[in-house]
Amino acid sequence: MTSSATTCLACAVRGQPLVVGEVLGDDALAERLRVSGLWPGALVELLGTAPLGGPMLFKLHGFRLALRRNEAERVTANLAAPAGNLTGSAGAEKNA
Amino acid sequence: MSHGGSAVVRGSAGGEASSARTVALVGRANSGKTSLLMFLTGSAQRPINFPGTSVERSESEVQVGSVRLRVVDLPGIAAMQAISKDEEVTLEFLRNTGVDRPEVVCAVLDASKLSIELRLLRQLHALGLPIVVALTKVDVAAAEGNPVDVDNLRRALGLQLVPVDGRLGHGVAELRTMLGSDAALLSRPDSQAQSSTWQPPASKSTRRSMTDRIDAWLLHPLLGPVVLFGVLVLLFQLVFRVAEPFMAVVEDGQGLITGWLESVLAAGAMRSFVIDGLVNGLGSSLLFVPQIALLIAFVTMLEASGYMARAVFLLDRLLRCFGLSGKSFVPLTSSFACAIPGILASRILTDERDRLATIAVSPLMSCSARLPVYIVLLAAFFPPNQAGFLLMVMYLLGIVAAAVVAFVLRRTILRGGSSILAMELPVYQRPRLRVVARHAWTAVREFLRTAGTVILAATVGVWALGYFPRPVELHEKFERQRAAVPAGDAAEAALANIDAAESQAYLEQSWLADMGRAVQPVFAPAGFDWRMTVGVLAAFPARELVVPTLGTLHSLGEVEASDDAGAESVVRLRDALRDARGPDGKPVMNGLVALAAMAFFALCSQCVSTLAAIRRETHSWFWPVFTFSYMTVLAWLVAVAIYQIGSLLGYGLA
Repeated sequence: MTSSATTCLACAVRGQPLVVGEVLGDDALAERLRVSGLWPGALVELLGTAPLGGPMLFKLHGFRLALRRNEAERVTANLAAPAGNLTGSAGAEKNA
Repeated sequence: MSHGGSAVVRGSAGGEASSARTVALVGRANSGKTSLLMFLTGSAQRPINFPGTSVERSESEVQVGSVRLRVVDLPGIAAMQAISKDEEVTLEFLRNTGVDRPEVVCAVLDASKLSIELRLLRQLHALGLPIVVALTKVDVAAAEGNPVDVDNLRRALGLQLVPVDGRLGHGVAELRTMLGSDAALLSRPDSQAQSSTWQPPASKSTRRSMTDRIDAWLLHPLLGPVVLFGVLVLLFQLVFRVAEPFMAVVEDGQGLITGWLESVLAAGAMRSFVIDGLVNGLGSSLLFVPQIALLIAFVTMLEASGYMARAVFLLDRLLRCFGLSGKSFVPLTSSFACAIPGILASRILTDERDRLATIAVSPLMSCSARLPVYIVLLAAFFPPNQAGFLLMVMYLLGIVAAAVVAFVLRRTILRGGSSILAMELPVYQRPRLRVVARHAWTAVREFLRTAGTVILAATVGVWALGYFPRPVELHEKFERQRAAVPAGDAAEAALANIDAAESQAYLEQSWLADMGRAVQPVFAPAGFDWRMTVGVLAAFPARELVVPTLGTLHSLGEVEASDDAGAESVVRLRDALRDARGPDGKPVMNGLVALAAMAFFALCSQCVSTLAAIRRETHSWFWPVFTFSYMTVLAWLVAVAIYQIGSLLGYGLA
């Protein structure tokens, strides 16, 4: 996949909105993620994380979506920073 | 037009069916369909604030003017393709072309997440059916900082649209009228283009909503789990403490009825049948009603408030260690009341292997029918301070066993597969008392139905096996003893003793005793005598039978002395268990045997209804047979281990 996205939802940081790039794959999980509102351009924000590496809670389209880490890793994203801050974020390296 | 319409209806006594109209309620999970149906048709459904709780399609009818509306509530769908089992139900119904096909789609859209709802609406257009939009949660949208302009939306969509409040019922009358009107049949998007491009204005609000503020506490990495633990402790405390006074009332009632019957009926088979069989059997079942009602009410409140979804979020990581999903928490919690709703609720699990593992371990949760067994045995052999602790141990035993079994299953016959969590956490809402009460009543009604049929029949059967045969020689022997009692002050006590000895002698030679003695060797390594063995055997159809059976066994074997207001049936059974002696005069029960018996009842599969539910939900005979086998073997092994290890430590029977 030649995605221009620089990070993924699993690397989200609280208080730093992300813009969804795409959902990787075409299995049932990918399908579920797409119909859950994770389509390209959707604005997503991390609200919190469950303890001990549990699921992550995101806000998008005005509602709250809980995703496991491996689920959040399927979704590429860009920083929604107002300035052109698209390079060199800490999460970029983790995104294979 | 309307004149003509009513004329048709008046003339339709011959059976014109054209005035019936099938409406399909369609929407995403948790969009408020089920509560809407309740207000639309007045049917007793159970709407709750947990995604995917309409696990079965349900329908009810209502008359609107000349049209008879048949409203079908379908499980929530996210798109026009099925990912989970319940979504298949919906799509199948929407796409069928037979007599059952829907004529109007009522799309239930949640105003608080319009952009995602409109995607579904666009897919629904492809069905080619008229669509009426019911817009729910307009208040939630406003509270979350994204108010909706209803008129603007209606114009943009080009469809009939009615804002409704699924919690309070506002707007439902308008929706009902709309669904029954001719306008509903014409409600098709006139210009596809506009409704497929229109998007709600993006949220500009950065204000934290009430739900965000509550979540900051309840989903806090440290505080969240603490609160969750507190909620679970509260659940059990509430169920056990609050239910006690109610149970006392039920027992008092049973005592009064027993006393009255004894004064009306002559001693003999009839009296024994009515009191020891009917009243004792039914009374012992009715005792659980308060607990079942409370437990269901509490679980419903957890779901309706939105907290249940948070518990799933917090527990997902932990439950995955055992091969389950966070969503398994919902069926497993329901199983503390009864495994059957738990097994039904497991449909929310999207992964088939998760679902099967959850179904297989749900019956290990100590359901409310096990509680009376624990209470009677604990009260007989342990001081109150130890009893409370041991009660918790019994519940933990089931939970630990469930974790181990799930772990093993997911690494053997249910290996592989990655389940999906991806779930919405709903906005917090105040639970509606009416909904909670309805939900509890439904559960109680189901239980009473079982109690009135299966339990009653089985209790009567146990009574008959324990009462017959009645050899004449035995009767004559005790008659001779009675005749020999000298008149005087001591006569009454002496006669009572003879009565007791006679009842005991009859029981010892009954068919039930023969059966118990025949099977007893199997349970001898666990320390069970023939009476406890009979209790175990009688419990296989339903474990509600344990206490009535033990009660019947011990009340058949003693004089029914209910003059002490009769309220102490459990106390009576407790004393009887403690005082039971074998032929050699030694006690047949002690604390260790009671512990082994409780562990057996905690782990054993003793409920035909549960096995039937597993058969229905898995569409296979393998799972009920497997569940029954592994639970029974596990229960026997643990009971034997407890008794044997305890005996080695010197706690066995002398």
